[in-house]
Amino acid sequence: MLFHINPSSGVPIYAQIELQVKNAIAAGAVKEGHALPSVRKLAAELRINPTTTARAYQNLERDGVITTIPGGGTYVAANVPRFLKSEKLRRLQPYAKQIAVEGVQLRLTDEDILKIVEEELAKLAERVGDRK
Amino acid sequence: MSELAIDTTDLAKTYAGVRAVGGINLTVPRGSIYGFLGRNGAGKTTTIKMLLGLVRPTTGSARVLGMDARSERVAILQRTAFVSEKKTLYSSMTPFELVRFSRGFYPAWSDSAVEKYARLFEIPMKQRFERLSNGNQTKVWLLLALCQGADLLILDEPTTALDPITVDQVMRVLAEDAPERGCTIFFSSHQLEEVERIAEYAGFIDHGKLLMEARLDDIKSEFRLITAAGSSLPAQTSSQVLSVDVEQDFYRYFVTRDAEGFAAALSRNGATVTSIANLGLREIFLQLIRKER
Repeated sequence: MLFHINPSSGVPIYAQIELQVKNAIAAGAVKEGHALPSVRKLAAELRINPTTTARAYQNLERDGVITTIPGGGTYVAANVPRFLKSEKLRRLQPYAKQIAVEGVQLRLTDEDILKIVEEELAKLAERVGDRK
Repeated sequence: MSELAIDTTDLAKTYAGVRAVGGINLTVPRGSIYGFLGRNGAGKTTTIKMLLGLVRPTTGSARVLGMDARSERVAILQRTAFVSEKKTLYSSMTPFELVRFSRGFYPAWSDSAVEKYARLFEIPMKQRFERLSNGNQTKVWLLLALCQGADLLILDEPTTALDPITVDQVMRVLAEDAPERGCTIFFSSHQLEEVERIAEYAGFIDHGKLLMEARLDDIKSEFRLITAAGSSLPAQTSSQVLSVDVEQDFYRYFVTRDAEGFAAALSRNGATVTSIANLGLREIFLQLIRKER
């Protein structure tokens, strides 16, 4: 898969890589067994420190998103991700808060805010559907 | 063997009563890439010269690759490649001759690396050094540094004269080749975007003082700029709050850790938190320097 990072965004680069892998999986662009570039290759491609890519891969592996076969590459795992529901909700909470705060500041109604989230979910479902 | 490639203790240099470096303690882990950041005249080059034994510290000491920078200077220079900020070399020699001249000094010299980097950087190897453009002169320095097989690469403003394409090639080399050999890279730069990309650690120096030294990811995960509206909010600084700006009923806090907790406390005091922003290296740099004034 292709990555793009923004070093000056204030978001740690390893977190940007993690999010892009998760997005690609959520959107169905990569599936179980898809091979990811090696830590060294990705670092060279993005001109970043190899410890940064290693950290992103370690976190993704810990989260069950990818598996690394020693000496044999890195792959998107089967049945991603295996979190407890409470953990999943905890991770999503800051984003929900941001949507809520932004929505209220823009003086949108609660219905408008919920509707736009639903629309995004519908788009995702459509895209995943397309690829099946 | 020491786990640190560079380790200084209260390293200081005073030139004719003027303090250039005022007692800094650097810790650079082996195998890491470390960005050394500061404004012009902050003390970066003087520090680097003390590490290499080229300038004698007024007080304090430095250990480089586990060796004392003053008494074991020659041994350090054999295992350390240095690209100076002033890129002068024997001006009538060609890069080809400079390579032939240099290779005898370094036991770990690699001829295949010469070929690789000469091709990659497109260096005119048969032209006299003085006739080369600034950019090509810098590339020759980098080539000579990269072929030494050094354990430590010290680069003082390595990319200043380079065009964006060459900077990109250099970044790739630093990201790929050096870490593979376990080589430590210590580089000073004004190019914050480069440092942000490639460095694992960063040290900020201003007026000869080390303002902060930390892992870049940690800095980015923790540092936040919080803007809040309210009246009579706290305005004192602490180890958590590095600076506070107040403009009428608006407060802006530069927070080093637990931004959520700090924001929650503000809210409990009746404040409206209008933003909690992540910071890029540029903003962190500016805030740290400003705080020091």
